[in-house]
Amino acid sequence: MAPKKAILTVVSLFALLICAALPASAQDWFKTGTGLGVQKARLAVPDTVARASFTQPFPKTFHDVLWNDLDFSGILDLVSPSFYPTQNPGQPSELNAQAWSAAPANAFMVAYGNMAMDGSNLAFSGYLSDVRNPSGAPALQKIYRGAMTDADVRRMAHQFADDIIAFLSGGQPGIAQTKIAYVSARGGNKEVWMMDYDGANAQQLTHLKSISLTPRWSPDGSRIAFTCYVPYRNVTSAQICMYSTVSNRLIAFPRFRGTTSSPAWSPDGSQIAFMSSQSGDPQIYIADADGGHAHKITFAAGVSTSPAWNPKTGKQMVFVSDRGGSPVLYMSSSDGSNVEKLDLPDMGYVIDPAWSPNGQLLAFSWRRPSGNYDIYVMDIVSRQLIELTKDEGRNERPSWAPDGRHLVFESTRTGTRQIWSMLADGSQPRQLTFEGQNESPNWSPK
Amino acid sequence: MAAAATIRPDENLKRFLYASLALHVALLVIAAIDGYFSRPGENWGAAGGSVTVGLVGNVPAIPLPQPEVSSPNRVVDESKGLFKSEPQPQPKQDLDATPLPKFKQEPKPPKYVTRPSKVLENPTPPPPNAVPYGGGGTPTVPVTSFTMGAGNAAAAGLTFGGAQGGDFASRFGAYVFGVQQRISSEWLQSSVDPTLSYAPRVQVTFDILRNGTITNIQLLQSSNNRSLDVSALRAVQSSSPLQPLPAAYSGSYVNVQFYFDYRR
Repeated sequence: MAPKKAILTVVSLFALLICAALPASAQDWFKTGTGLGVQKARLAVPDTVARASFTQPFPKTFHDVLWNDLDFSGILDLVSPSFYPTQNPGQPSELNAQAWSAAPANAFMVAYGNMAMDGSNLAFSGYLSDVRNPSGAPALQKIYRGAMTDADVRRMAHQFADDIIAFLSGGQPGIAQTKIAYVSARGGNKEVWMMDYDGANAQQLTHLKSISLTPRWSPDGSRIAFTCYVPYRNVTSAQICMYSTVSNRLIAFPRFRGTTSSPAWSPDGSQIAFMSSQSGDPQIYIADADGGHAHKITFAAGVSTSPAWNPKTGKQMVFVSDRGGSPVLYMSSSDGSNVEKLDLPDMGYVIDPAWSPNGQLLAFSWRRPSGNYDIYVMDIVSRQLIELTKDEGRNERPSWAPDGRHLVFESTRTGTRQIWSMLADGSQPRQLTFEGQNESPNWSPK
Repeated sequence: MAAAATIRPDENLKRFLYASLALHVALLVIAAIDGYFSRPGENWGAAGGSVTVGLVGNVPAIPLPQPEVSSPNRVVDESKGLFKSEPQPQPKQDLDATPLPKFKQEPKPPKYVTRPSKVLENPTPPPPNAVPYGGGGTPTVPVTSFTMGAGNAAAAGLTFGGAQGGDFASRFGAYVFGVQQRISSEWLQSSVDPTLSYAPRVQVTFDILRNGTITNIQLLQSSNNRSLDVSALRAVQSSSPLQPLPAAYSGSYVNVQFYFDYRR
């Protein structure tokens, strides 16, 4: 019996060792990384399944808006509908994960859902499923409700798109529900208008019947500061006007002597920088958000205008000045000290600075001696440049979306001055306005 | 045979034989369990991985996915060549496993299998301009159906996006993708020493709590360049909070190993 005993001892010893090793390895983990070649997720978006008969094509509108939002997000690669399996899932039990993950669809995820009636309201049940997930549980499931109107269907689709994009970009909010303020002359006068980020739901905000320019959202989105030409005691001069998007009316902002224009908000919303000629040369001033305590921060001869605050730190500012001859960009601390010229490898006018939300990139328009105004982006630290538009009319006044992945700008590439948006690498340009002349867009902060 | 027959199996020898057999079995079990549970070390050979190509004029701080770069270290290259070689005939395998020797009887001398002599399989040599199978570049099928399949996983036999790990990466691939996207977009490569053109892989490890907060950030493997290490750590720090962990996940936190490959 001695050998059996020896075997038993040995086996039980190893069993003990294994049991001791097990709990240490039980914590879940994963390994991933980045370099060049981060791929986009392949997402399939089948048609919305209608669970009731609708008098208007709500499911189709929903699907179209959702598709456009996801397509324009810049992080997804949408699978062409011609590769889709024939069956359209409306809920997880109808999803044939195998068929979607296999060729030719090769989808990594599927965003789908059904639209039904809930009393007199619409209810869309949206799902995002990872079709390679063996457990099959949706990564995202949510019900969106709204009235039976086109506007509400668009809003629900934007919400679903934002939820998907936020999930797939690790919690960074999407921009499908953001707005763009701009100046439109479609009614005869240049007034401030506002539209959805995709160009829908355009609405006029101001009715000043004069000229309004350069709208700028406050960081909390509650106000829009802009340049207005309002007669005062029979003198018409450019001044700063303030519009409240909460009460939908103009609110008070003090008038200054001379010309005042091009407002810019500090990132905390407590201060406004603007150009004013109250003491002679047009210089940059900083005032409180209500116009008090205005003080000059630039002193060089010539014109200094178009300030733009670093939205991340609030400690730097870029502005346009012609102190060296022609208008180019200068960077300074936000109190006006440490002025430094942003050197570019060519001559020409450089205007319209716009700082990206993470404070790393500066978009501006530049007219090189060889051509027209085009949008460029500069990496502030390394001073690397990329040209985003080329040989397509005048492209000016870029403004960043809050996600830092999109830009909106004005372009004359169609013959008239219109608002366009594009991804921040210059791809996927989209025309947002078509009626009249539209200019000077500014993307809402959220 | 006559000599073998004269030696009788000793009782003591038999005991040691049993003990050594048990030890070997136990060792095998340990090796299997260890291989199953222990973490793999270097993530070499994964998709989206070690061989990357810098693009001229591409500002790295725009948080868009970088253009896909085909890496030559794929497991399978399904592209068509101009010349398709004949598949190698598989050597016939004896499917019957060798039966365990029975120790009551005498051990038999091992049976030596002689390899069959080599036959010249391809009497006509390939043309001098032949492109070998798999070396023909981009396939001629619609590209869209291949963009993901080639770089990723299912087709190449790897998990999504070069992610690997326990159960988590396969169950919550979408979440892993989100983490990868977020940290990639927060990685400000312009803050890296501009004279650096190549650096070894940086590895950072951290935990994601249920509410998406990132804690316990540690540098696992340094690139030996301080500015690159700091940029990697900052990318992770500024990505907090991430999306909350998936509701279907029962654990209280998940551990992540995140690598950064830097090429200028």
